[in-house]
Amino acid sequence: MAASYLGPALVPNADAAWDEAKLPANPDELVQKMMGQPMRRAGRFIKLVCCGALACMSRVPEEALRGRNIGIFLATGLGNIDEILPFITQVFKHDGGFPSPNQFANSVSNSAAFFLAKFCGIKGVVLTVSQEELSFESALWLAQSYLAAGEIDLALVGGCDVFTPSVEDYRERLNLAPGRYRRAPLGEGSGWLLLGGDGEMKIGDILSVEFSSGLTDAERPSSDDLLKYCEKQFEELRHKMESPDDGCKPTPLSFPRKRKSTETPKKPDSRLRGNDRENVTKLFLPGFRLSDMNEALWQKNGWEMDDYLIACGISSTASACGLARTLLSRRRTFLVHGNFSSSGRPALIAAATE
Amino acid sequence: MKNGNIHIRGWGAVTALGWGASEGARRLIAGDVRPAGICGSAHLVNREFKAFEVPDDGNPLEKSLKMLDASITEAFKRGGLSASEIAESALLVGTTGGIFIRNEHEFTESVRQNPGKESPPIVCRNRGPGEVADVIARQYGIRGLPITFSMACVSSSHALVVAADLIAQKRIRRAVVVGFEPLLNLTLQGFASLLLYDPDECRPFCNRRMGMQIGEAASCLILEEGESAAADQSGFWFAGGHLYNDNRSLTSAGTDGEMVRGVVARALLKAGTDPGDIVAVKAHGTGTRDNDLSEGRGLAKVFGDRLPPVVSLKGVIGHTLGAAGTVETALWLSCLDQGVIPKSFGFAETDPEIGFAPSQENLPAAAGAYLFTFFGFGGTCTAYVIRKMAS
Repeated sequence: MAASYLGPALVPNADAAWDEAKLPANPDELVQKMMGQPMRRAGRFIKLVCCGALACMSRVPEEALRGRNIGIFLATGLGNIDEILPFITQVFKHDGGFPSPNQFANSVSNSAAFFLAKFCGIKGVVLTVSQEELSFESALWLAQSYLAAGEIDLALVGGCDVFTPSVEDYRERLNLAPGRYRRAPLGEGSGWLLLGGDGEMKIGDILSVEFSSGLTDAERPSSDDLLKYCEKQFEELRHKMESPDDGCKPTPLSFPRKRKSTETPKKPDSRLRGNDRENVTKLFLPGFRLSDMNEALWQKNGWEMDDYLIACGISSTASACGLARTLLSRRRTFLVHGNFSSSGRPALIAAATE
Repeated sequence: MKNGNIHIRGWGAVTALGWGASEGARRLIAGDVRPAGICGSAHLVNREFKAFEVPDDGNPLEKSLKMLDASITEAFKRGGLSASEIAESALLVGTTGGIFIRNEHEFTESVRQNPGKESPPIVCRNRGPGEVADVIARQYGIRGLPITFSMACVSSSHALVVAADLIAQKRIRRAVVVGFEPLLNLTLQGFASLLLYDPDECRPFCNRRMGMQIGEAASCLILEEGESAAADQSGFWFAGGHLYNDNRSLTSAGTDGEMVRGVVARALLKAGTDPGDIVAVKAHGTGTRDNDLSEGRGLAKVFGDRLPPVVSLKGVIGHTLGAAGTVETALWLSCLDQGVIPKSFGFAETDPEIGFAPSQENLPAAAGAYLFTFFGFGGTCTAYVIRKMAS
């Protein structure tokens, strides 16, 4: 139904420039604008969660939300580390320190989700999920499950991580060993999607969220394997689009889907011919762990690539910003976001914009 | 969602009571328990706090990972899981601190090795709560989806309910659910800053209670769909559960007990169980003024004058925070397995505002439905029902 993203420059839904060396920016002005009041006792993580999510919710008329059972699925890789760091520094201060109770309260992992739920008036299913660089993918998968089961009407799903100095420490927390990430500045962000609804305000479909069962680098699919997977997904989508019975509903998600690197791609559907194929843009969004993309081969197969990290930089939940940004800016686009965990487990989100 | 066809195939727990759920249950039933004490672990910078520490001589990081390994190994062994069954399982972890203990251990080691020098600022290198699942998945070859819930004291109890929901939705067939919470300066000092400790002992539901005491623990439960020989052997079924987030207060579940009543009533409904069918309640019972009042009043509203035996385990293992859900469930199942509903420790005097005493004697564990409740920071609540089948 809606999407929104906030990058390190803290300008909602815009690719505003920022300087890694000057991070983090002060969010108080944005908080005042988005929330209509300051959040004096909250840390940056809580502020960015609330601002990002409210930017998404504000795109939907109030009446479309009234009486709906909404679940919150907050994904974060590092959580409220901005509050944990000063607290623990006080605890371990030479000759003893005096940690503040307020700082501790804000450092508790689900404080941000609580404040968001309070601002949005949401009670019920409110989950804080963390799985390093696949946190957002995990939250999205979970939200789809609860929506499909009818446990909730709408799902507010987002990813948020905040930059915490220094650059070197942040890089280590993100496990950015040389050769295991794409060269891009470090960043932060808060990307949100509102899923569900009756379709009147639809901006796109999340078609599938899939995780490979791979556990090691040796099982990590190559750029070519990813391309084959994306082609297969695209053909399945086109099949649905051309099938009047199926419509273009989100594909039921399978779990666990075991992909093998030797899997042969499904033969293209012979019914897909002519202008339809050309009218839909195929777009791949590479996550920050994808450092060895064979871009020429993708382009040869008709795929555009969008390096969304220019809008948000590297953070554990950058994929949330990338997906939200694409859903807001593209039309008639079939897109796949791909990323790996640091241990080599791939996760792919397939989506289509209206 | 009803979860009636999910059995608990295996479980394990490492607590202050011992390096296994069975051992812990034996000691609990025998009354061979110790109060919280001043902890000896090398990484703790303040020796004023009493806590329930897992006995071990190793360094705290190695000990924590050993606790994790012991609890998971116990669960796999009890459930008789093959390597391929382990591989195809989903992995749900509940933790707040994750492997933050690495930072604390490295810091104190660095200070110890540089006597006389001013302590440097602590460096925070851990990769967030999700790191625990990554470590477990790689160690045991678990290839199913890993998801970590970091939701304060309901982290692993929420993970259990979500696991059951996902099995009921046919999204997964089996879940390895882990709770992990090593003893951290971060949490010890944090709860101290909130003035939430009882300096003497943890006294759930007692009129003399003054607060909580923290315990460290690791635990694992295996939930699986359908009937099987393993299900017959374990004899425990996850009947249904409810997770809920209230947005009224960050720190209190509402002392009128209304929210607790609502959450428990909903869990019973989802489990297809009447209040009168509950054999006993494994309560959250932290020993804080507010929690026990909220919970006590809530339970009284649900059960009226037919309140079953209510037991809190925190008087003997402390509050194990994000691990509490799986830890207390595993320990409880081992007690039932040994035929006993354990008594509640740390109680001396009825609180007139609560109006009942927790169970003060070991009771025979009848077949039937057992209620589990957990409440946490941020308005979070979990309640679920587990059925013990007649042997």
